[in-house]
Amino acid sequence: MLRYELKKVFGRAGGRVALCLLATILVGVSMVSVNSTPWVNERGEEEYGFAAVRRLRAAQKAWTGPLDEARLRAVLAENARIAATPEARSDDWHMTNIAYGWRQGIEPIRDLLNMAFADGFREFDFYRADSLTPDDAPMFYPNRVRLLREWLADEGANLLSEPEKAFLIARYEALETPLDYDYVHGWTRLFRYLPSIQMLTLLVLGYLVAGVFAGEFQQRADAVFFASKLGRSKASRAKVGAGVVIVTAVYWAMVLLFTAFVLLCFGADGALCPVQASFEGWKCFYNLTNLQKYLLMAMGGYLGSLAILLAEMWASAKSRSTVLSATIPFVLLFAPSLLLNLSSVSVDKAVGLLPFALLDMDTTLSAFNYLYDLAGKIVPSVPLLFLLYGAAALLLPPLLYRTYRGSEQA
Amino acid sequence: MELKFENLTKRFKETAAVDGVSFAFTGGVYGLLGVNGAGKTTLMRMLCTLIRPTSGTISWNGRDIFAMDTQYRALLGYLPQDFGFYPDFTVDDYLGYVASIKGLRPAAARARSGELTRALGLEKYRSRKMKKLSGGMKRRVGIAQAMLNDPRILVLDEPTAGLDPGERIRLRNLLSELAGERIVLLSTHIVSDVAYIANQILLMKEGRIVRAGAPDVLTAALPVRVWRCEVARGEVERCLRKYRVSNVRTTPGGAQLRVLSEGTPLPGAAPEAATLEDVFLYHFGEKGDGEDASL
Repeated sequence: MLRYELKKVFGRAGGRVALCLLATILVGVSMVSVNSTPWVNERGEEEYGFAAVRRLRAAQKAWTGPLDEARLRAVLAENARIAATPEARSDDWHMTNIAYGWRQGIEPIRDLLNMAFADGFREFDFYRADSLTPDDAPMFYPNRVRLLREWLADEGANLLSEPEKAFLIARYEALETPLDYDYVHGWTRLFRYLPSIQMLTLLVLGYLVAGVFAGEFQQRADAVFFASKLGRSKASRAKVGAGVVIVTAVYWAMVLLFTAFVLLCFGADGALCPVQASFEGWKCFYNLTNLQKYLLMAMGGYLGSLAILLAEMWASAKSRSTVLSATIPFVLLFAPSLLLNLSSVSVDKAVGLLPFALLDMDTTLSAFNYLYDLAGKIVPSVPLLFLLYGAAALLLPPLLYRTYRGSEQA
Repeated sequence: MELKFENLTKRFKETAAVDGVSFAFTGGVYGLLGVNGAGKTTLMRMLCTLIRPTSGTISWNGRDIFAMDTQYRALLGYLPQDFGFYPDFTVDDYLGYVASIKGLRPAAARARSGELTRALGLEKYRSRKMKKLSGGMKRRVGIAQAMLNDPRILVLDEPTAGLDPGERIRLRNLLSELAGERIVLLSTHIVSDVAYIANQILLMKEGRIVRAGAPDVLTAALPVRVWRCEVARGEVERCLRKYRVSNVRTTPGGAQLRVLSEGTPLPGAAPEAATLEDVFLYHFGEKGDGEDASL
């Protein structure tokens, strides 16, 4: 039965076009991820592609290890050495590019220094590290917490409650230092592009599963289906199963293929390094390793997709319309962006609990306003999202089954 | 073997599509005759558990069919009026799928599917996609899917719709063969479809069963007589307005009319034996639609 249900979806031309579209998305996003990583060679020219990635990796691997005072001093000394060269001091962009090429090995740590010594929590000065000396190194970690405290007392004062502020400071202080540093470009590329893969996959899946239930009515095949012995029992369950299998198989195929491609290209180094040891994760208050963050993103995306698409299938079983139900993923993906423009604290908090937040996990993990006061205990959005949509993913299949099996002919 | 419905009513908002009907099927071919909108399809959908009645009961051997659930549907074969299918499935795929939702094991399904495709002349179309079949072929596949589980109750809603005369005759013969130890309920507004094969005819009008009985009983019970009248061509219009005319045949001298009337309608009218078409015309009059119903 399940085999036939899958054949109904993938046997039609639309199903095959959707699979081709998914393959195009996968290849396209993979190519963009590789070609967005430049290597500046000794002549100051940018190179792209697999060879560029290999050279970048080799340069940055030279600085792996605990990001302690000694290493920070060494980085600051190296940075000062490069900054003092005529190429770095030149006004000719070509010469400064050559100097940048020499700095590529220390660039990720230099970015961390730029943030740790910024004028404010939300400030970033690309040249800040150039004005630091090795003696500034001991303030690297204390500055991270200090800048947060200052921001919470000033700009962020009205955005968060006192318990929420205390929660964030406690999380910052709980970060184990010195951070273990490694080349993590594979993971940061994944974190940047995985949400695109997840969201585009969701939209295509929305089209694929829209017809699993409504198609029976639209093709007027429902009469034979429901008059059959197992139409209102096992065959209806097979439809629910087909929906879950399609979502699961297509989602994980896309995510795992993309992950394999990116990690094979860029390397999986730094899997166990904390996310804070990179520019993208420096401010994150979830104390996670790159591998843990990846698992949260992949699992979160799956749970979010499953919940959204089960809701879509339920709507299609109820409304008998593929068009109406296929709009649900679009609305749930794009409505949060509109809602966030309202600049309201309570709306922002509500958006943090929408399934979109699971698909945009990278943003969710760095959103300071996605905190919730549950009976005096501050809880961040991620565990709540997993709880909420885990329950939805468990409850929706039986609801979908009951709705569909009880269908009467119009 | 008894499929029985009592005081069965189905309302859609304020309209009663089926209005307090009762009947018991015991075996053989039953023809359900009525004009479009008479309530035939609604009655059949209730008998197939596709919709629940507003009131009344339907029972199989004394047990409520909705309570029997899968047990009842295991006995059922249904060909809906608007028979839908999966256009990208081949005939084999389609029959395989329907067999699976009817609970047939794969080996039994293959064997049964083979038998039916042979019997229905579909053998060489088994690997053809459903969307590539002609209307008649699709109808045959529809009959095959209804017969897959060798049902005790076979419900066919307008099975001859879209078939050419040859196919209609073949289908009628097939249904006669299939009847055997089962209840075959055949709905149509085409009188000739049931005239030859039905053991019992139910005439439905405005949601009610207005007459039921064997074809000869229904014709014998016709409260008017049937007359053959020869008239001049100029008289035809006047006669059509004045009498119930079930047939007009043009002749060299004028026209020969088949008139339903209690007394002699015209001088020289000769009495004729009544047919089921005359019964249909008598009960449904000029509202009768469809190719034969217009008479």
